[in-house]
Amino acid sequence: MSAVTRTRAFVVERPAAALVAPLLLFDLLVFVAPFGLLLRISLSERQPARAYAEGTWSTGGYEYLLDPSNTLASVLGFTFAFAAVVTVLSVVVATLYAHAMWRANGALRVVLTAGALVSMFTAIVVKLFAAILVISPNGVLNTALVGSGLLSEPLQLVNNAAGAVIGQLYIVAPYSVLAVYSVLSTVDESLLEAARDLGASGPHAFREVVIPHAVPGMLVAGVISFTWSVGSYAAPLLLGSGSERTAGIAVSDLLLREFDWPAAAALATTVTLSVVAALVAAHIGVSRLKVTTDAQ
Amino acid sequence: MLSDRTATATFRLAYVAVFVFLLAPVVVVIATSVSATSTVSFPPDGLSFHWYVALFTSEQWTRAIRNSLVVAAGTTVFATALGVLGAVGTRRIDGRISDLIAGLSVVPLLVPGVVLGVTLLVFFSELGRQQELWTIVAAHSLWATPLTYSVVRATLARYDWQLRDAALDLGATRVRAFREVVVPNVRAGIAAAALIAFVVSLQEFVMTLFLSGRGTRTVPVVAWNSLRNSLDPLVSVTSTLLVVAVLVVLVAVGAAVGLDRVARDTQ
Repeated sequence: MSAVTRTRAFVVERPAAALVAPLLLFDLLVFVAPFGLLLRISLSERQPARAYAEGTWSTGGYEYLLDPSNTLASVLGFTFAFAAVVTVLSVVVATLYAHAMWRANGALRVVLTAGALVSMFTAIVVKLFAAILVISPNGVLNTALVGSGLLSEPLQLVNNAAGAVIGQLYIVAPYSVLAVYSVLSTVDESLLEAARDLGASGPHAFREVVIPHAVPGMLVAGVISFTWSVGSYAAPLLLGSGSERTAGIAVSDLLLREFDWPAAAALATTVTLSVVAALVAAHIGVSRLKVTTDAQ
Repeated sequence: MLSDRTATATFRLAYVAVFVFLLAPVVVVIATSVSATSTVSFPPDGLSFHWYVALFTSEQWTRAIRNSLVVAAGTTVFATALGVLGAVGTRRIDGRISDLIAGLSVVPLLVPGVVLGVTLLVFFSELGRQQELWTIVAAHSLWATPLTYSVVRATLARYDWQLRDAALDLGATRVRAFREVVVPNVRAGIAAAALIAFVVSLQEFVMTLFLSGRGTRTVPVVAWNSLRNSLDPLVSVTSTLLVVAVLVVLVAVGAAVGLDRVARDTQ
């Protein structure tokens, strides 16, 4: 039987499998296989002269991550702290903005929604470039603050941790907003009205009525923010200084500058595993949440 | 304890601040692109389109624009084809397997771009294929395919499949029934999926940074490289063009299926 007739027989007998095959094949070839190779390289011996020693087995790459002779352990520590700060800020900003979208009516709601969507669909490069123009010492923000007499000296918001955090917020905040909003938009607004009618103050009603309903959306927003910030590269590189070095930047340096592929692969694997761990933790969190709300 | 009025005022101020924060980039970038001066300044000094002229006479930028369009077009065709075939294929097979396939194709979206870029760079260099445009198309398709797949799947789930069964009963072949009865009804969803793939590819730059070389850099990569050196007015111009291109596509998608549905289906 020729290959052509075999393929034809397969397509006629199992049309569904034949239609899904290209998608699976693509994911295997361009995703699973490259990650398999990365994992294999992360377990090879490190060699000064070559990228990596083919065919050898060693945990040297992973040991190097914890070696006190380099800064990789503190890079990993900084990366997680950075991701945590960005996540908290992103969820707070998103909850506030999504609440405003939810409470707004008519034209204001359209404008606020458009703001989130336009920001989400603005390319990362464009957002970071504009962030420099807005927050640098002679940028729009500082000119306005100093010009209006609110500040005597411009705020230092670039080439430091603040810059890196603001840049990363530009990347993750719009996704967080939409994640919280998609949950809030299903909540009946009259619940909030009822709380207000019964005498709850605005902040009190927000805390007791809005937040509990928004929690699933806030969790999704947190997961998006955290996973993307653990792998952040562009924002800290452009808006931070040399001390805002994330794991993503270190992976790139190890691979392209130091030619230390096992260490680069080990660090990349570690980053990916922590992303997976965050996802699993969030998944467990969401299902626990469901159990408790169902029990009530 | 804050009084109610202060709390409301604070809340208003806070969300207006977030709104300004979110939209400031777009406003600033467009304004600086039409500045008459040779430095990037905001508010712009005078109004001039000479940086737009300069862009289209720069060989580096015109090549980047061509590369971006080629890669985005390739990603659109490839990711849409994979997404449509996959969505049609998993429609009939049982939930567990189709969930597994959906899960596998979504994973790349959750892996950081820098990790994917590095992984694919290592993989393609082991195969001896470096700095080629098709490798960038493959990388972008990793992110575009889960989106096209889920948009098409959601579209197909809303379609009344009895119409197709009627066509089959009347003697149409499977392919003909799909082409003449199903496709015209789900065309808007497929178009939305294709446009989303186009936008994803047009904007992606971290993976491309690792996979592209001198002749294969896309617009965001060239913009990034010149950003690292200095603030170039040409970056304002290309940024504006990117923003406008994406907004045009979004309006097209919104017209085709409604933005609200896009926001839900891509989740």
